Amino acid sequence: MNLHFIDWAIIIAYLAGCMFAGIWMRRYVRGVEDFAVAGREMDVNLGIASLAATELGLVTIMYTAQLGYEKGFAGATIGVIMALAMYFVGRTGFVIARLRRSGVMTIPELFEKRFGKGVRWLAGLFVVLGGVLNMGIFLRLGGEFLVNVTGMSRESHALEWVMTVLLGLVLIYTVLGGMLSVLVTDYLQFIVMGLGIVITSVLVIYHTGWNALVQQLWSCWDGSAVGVGQTLKSHPFNPLDKSNFGWLYIVWQLLFQIAVVTTWQTQISRVLASKDEHTAKKMYRRTAFYFVGRFALPGLWGAAALVHFSYNGGLPKGLDSLTAMPAYLSTILPIGLIGIVIAGMLAAEMSTDSGYLLTWATVIFNDLISPCVKKPMTAKQKLLLTRGLVLVIGLFLLFYGLWYQPPGNAWDYLAVTGNIYLASVFTLLAAGLYWKRANATGAYAALVLGAVGPIAFLVVNMFVPKEKQIDPEVAGALSFGLAFAGMIVGSLLTPKVELATEAAK
Amino acid sequence: MTLLFISFWSVMIFTSIFWYGFLLFYVGAKGGKEIKEMTRTLQRRADDERKN
Repeated sequence: MNLHFIDWAIIIAYLAGCMFAGIWMRRYVRGVEDFAVAGREMDVNLGIASLAATELGLVTIMYTAQLGYEKGFAGATIGVIMALAMYFVGRTGFVIARLRRSGVMTIPELFEKRFGKGVRWLAGLFVVLGGVLNMGIFLRLGGEFLVNVTGMSRESHALEWVMTVLLGLVLIYTVLGGMLSVLVTDYLQFIVMGLGIVITSVLVIYHTGWNALVQQLWSCWDGSAVGVGQTLKSHPFNPLDKSNFGWLYIVWQLLFQIAVVTTWQTQISRVLASKDEHTAKKMYRRTAFYFVGRFALPGLWGAAALVHFSYNGGLPKGLDSLTAMPAYLSTILPIGLIGIVIAGMLAAEMSTDSGYLLTWATVIFNDLISPCVKKPMTAKQKLLLTRGLVLVIGLFLLFYGLWYQPPGNAWDYLAVTGNIYLASVFTLLAAGLYWKRANATGAYAALVLGAVGPIAFLVVNMFVPKEKQIDPEVAGALSFGLAFAGMIVGSLLTPKVELATEAAK
Repeated sequence: MTLLFISFWSVMIFTSIFWYGFLLFYVGAKGGKEIKEMTRTLQRRADDERKN
């Protein structure tokens, strides 16, 4: 173990503070609205902290560092695209303003007003399927980081224990306090996580030296350094180079990120918890640049790890592009600082897990179970059921995370599983809010067709050899194309439906 | 062209470090106040409900 007594003290103090704050908020929960959307009392800065903390998890740090290791600084291009998408939506209010004004708790709830109960239910199912599968690898990746950075033994099943304890702590305060606990713990986690990220980034640059890092990264790509060879297969700075992302991938990401920031339920739940649409828009604009750092800073650590191992005899046995970064950090972080960084990374993991658990439980309750229940439930029953769902999803994640190995790199897995619902739900949202001719037939067609590409990617790539596998950008772009086509053709081929209620209009 | 990309990523990385550091203090201070305000409002609501 690389941890000193001081490091343990820092980690335990952070965990105790977080648990105390999370459990304390339980006293303010009176019903599902408080539990799911914090009574819609969230203001801008708390929204920024919560949004940033939820969307920057340990899993994010792991896959963005992997991108940095495999694609150099150019791996952060996705962060730049995401920041542009956030700013565009925050400036124009595209989708989010109308969504907040509608007063719904989840996206599928809006679909019922616009397309009917059936579409709400099916959309809810896709949202949960995509969301929970997507979250399935969070725990494993988070555990991998902690095991590698602390030097825990693999033989002692440390990874499994770390994952179980982490999830257990998150479950306690999320089940008790819901979104209110999530907001307050997110705030604490935002601060600790930010501190950890800034310290680590400064140390990484200090350790290698900025100019040396840039030059050595280039040498890893052109293979000019004696005794190192070509350890980087992608152009480290140019994302448009055919060895790197290339044009098709960038175009898919442009569309994908607009869909993410307007449709991804964990982000939208912050929009719906905001005081009003102006608060939501401001929160988006002010968080936009944060998303550049979300990719660029861990990407910097990943690129530095590549340079470090390339110039020091190659990647040690047992490490790969995913685990190289934490192993590298364990060599440069001094006593005391490693405790702060681990506390920061735990903060990142916990804030993401709690936000995601709550979001998917809310969708299952609100859109899959509630519409099917004939006898109205009491507020107490609703709360109990939502809490039970958080617990069930947590247990599922623990077991799924333990045995599933994602095909390809982690980012592609996350992007494609998210795409199961992003393409179709984004199409439904945009058409439902801005196209009067859109109807339920188009909505059904978009939902089903939008899921074809990503599901084919997951299933086919499990069975065929690597060279015959479907590329993520092909699966992703295909799902958007099919969802759009389904909505347009389905709506135009069936009779125009007059919107019955004011709410639907 | 490569030099242009290197400059671009240098600006992005250093600005990100600065931005994360700034938000730590700015959101840290303002967010704390908002939590206080939010809990006060929720407490007031609960008290009102109890009275009614």
